[in-house]
Amino acid sequence: MNLPNPFKLLALQFRSEWRLYARDRGAMFWTFAFPLLMLFGFGLILRSGGPQTLTLVRVAPPRETARDVAFVKALQDSKLKVLTLTPSDAKQRWEKGETTVQLESAGDGYRLKLNSYLLAQGQVVAQAASQAFLIAQSRLNGMPEPKRIPYVIESPGHARSDNYAAFLVPGLIGLNLLSMGLFTVGMVTVSYREKGKFRRLAVTPLPKWVFLLGQILQRVTVVLVQTLLLLLAARFGFQITNQGSYLVFGALVIFGTAAFLAMGFALSSTASTVETYGAISNLAFFPMMLLSGVYFRIDGAPQWLQKAIFILPLAPFLRMLRAVFNDGGSLAGETIGLAIIVGWTIVCFAIAVKRFRWV
Amino acid sequence: MPELIAVRGLRKQFPNVLAVAGVDLTVNAGEVFGLLGPNGAGKTTTLEMIEGLTRPDAGEITIAGLTWERNATEIRARIGVQLQATSLYNKITPREALNLFGSYYPKRRGTEELLELVQLKDKADAYHVTLSGGQAQRLALALALVNDPDVVFLDEPTAGLDPQGRRSLWEVVRAMKGEGRTVVLTTHYMDEAEALCDRLAILDHGQILRSGTPAELIAGLGIPSVVELTFDGPAPDPADFAARLGSAVDARGDVWEIPTPDPKTMLPRLFTAIESAHLEYNQVHVRRATLEDVFLQLTGRSLRD
Repeated sequence: MNLPNPFKLLALQFRSEWRLYARDRGAMFWTFAFPLLMLFGFGLILRSGGPQTLTLVRVAPPRETARDVAFVKALQDSKLKVLTLTPSDAKQRWEKGETTVQLESAGDGYRLKLNSYLLAQGQVVAQAASQAFLIAQSRLNGMPEPKRIPYVIESPGHARSDNYAAFLVPGLIGLNLLSMGLFTVGMVTVSYREKGKFRRLAVTPLPKWVFLLGQILQRVTVVLVQTLLLLLAARFGFQITNQGSYLVFGALVIFGTAAFLAMGFALSSTASTVETYGAISNLAFFPMMLLSGVYFRIDGAPQWLQKAIFILPLAPFLRMLRAVFNDGGSLAGETIGLAIIVGWTIVCFAIAVKRFRWV
Repeated sequence: MPELIAVRGLRKQFPNVLAVAGVDLTVNAGEVFGLLGPNGAGKTTTLEMIEGLTRPDAGEITIAGLTWERNATEIRARIGVQLQATSLYNKITPREALNLFGSYYPKRRGTEELLELVQLKDKADAYHVTLSGGQAQRLALALALVNDPDVVFLDEPTAGLDPQGRRSLWEVVRAMKGEGRTVVLTTHYMDEAEALCDRLAILDHGQILRSGTPAELIAGLGIPSVVELTFDGPAPDPADFAARLGSAVDARGDVWEIPTPDPKTMLPRLFTAIESAHLEYNQVHVRRATLEDVFLQLTGRSLRD
């Protein structure tokens, strides 16, 4: 008996899965367009306007002298944003605590007032202002300008940490993996079993692993396409790029895929109807989605909650993904996070293998 | 005819019911074999154990000398199965489904030929979800034939079909037999069993009550005919009348059934009894005994109950 080559069957199964998947417009939309809509929606609404600038509030003098003009010019040349306000507006802003440094005229000179709460930033502004003052003086006196030390403002990790979209991209990638595992794998498995699709296949000589692997490969390619789309949207929509190694990033995505796939199969063995599974999967999905830091940081949550959610795979996954993607770091210090992901994969895989039912 | 399928001592216990309680049967090559019984008799469980879908608790199954323990893949390659409910992807077309399922087998029939056979040519590229019940059933039948099988298992193949659909399905089954295939089917329609099956087994409560050709089973009753007396409204209690007639009378709905080996002598006696009892009745029929009567005699119940 010459059974067809299983790898050829795998290719056919994979192609068929993709073709049928592509016909389901609703699924296609949710899978591919939704993460992009989230990224563009939230990314644009919460965008804080590119790299941070230092702002200096200047109290408008009763009359602008030539020296004032030269000073403002020199301040702007130093990449300081100068905000000139009337004395009353400046006072109001100061009292609200929004002003870092305020520049006032004092006698025939100037005075800087530094916000004690924002002293670190204020000192930088003060130094830049002092430099600018010297430059303005030199220019007025027709002397050669003193050399200025240029500065850039950058956090050690988050190269563009003030951009919400940069925070969101790894979150959405993680969310894609979670919903792939719980819904497209787990839910579909339960529904196929409930409706008897597996039974029809079970009376054919198609090896079961071919069918399962064909499905898994299709889901994995969907996730890879989703991830690629998000990376492209981040790159061209928000100028956000992976700060770390693409190799480590890719490896993390693969680890995550394995963990959430295994989780979907394991959960699918706990329910015999789609209704029951819907309840079980939402019970797993929502806490993870809301508390793992997909859309916002959970630094403000109670310690016990942060610790508890870190036991579930999404939170450590996102932390590692952000460490690489946003901070350009490695996984050197993430032993616990990696162990949690690998642990979930192994446990879920074992449950899936032991409890998976075709009928 | 050589024996193709042999089943010995098949048992299956489900959590709250003994579905199959020791079934023995043989199916010969080239015949249409029927499992006849009411819902819940264990027909489907028996069939699914033979198809390798359900693992029996006890018993032996051989198909063309092969066993599920040793030759599962080979058996699967040689059998065709139509399940009671065939679930496919919603958006697969009959043509694609036949091509996909065909790819699983070492030997396959042409997709166009199968579409023709089950009269689905004009629906070949429609999504499965848009097919009518009858069309979906015919596609399921075509899928059961996709590997040019030696044995075809059909579980309630005409359930839910209209009379025309049933007739055309019977034609397909006869065509299968004409091509030399062995067919094993389950049904709870006695007319279907009588029309299609060369041999059949009557199942109830997980056991085979009788098996043989339809003619043998009916002849085994010893009552080739049944006289039916119909009433307007529910039939009255027949006890007194039976005593007067000197013969058994069964009340079923608005009908009395009087089994008899010889209607020629029964009818004059019947009319005499009717006259002396002043019985008000509607009509009288004489009909040949059917498998329904066999089942009734074996279980005291009707197949449809």
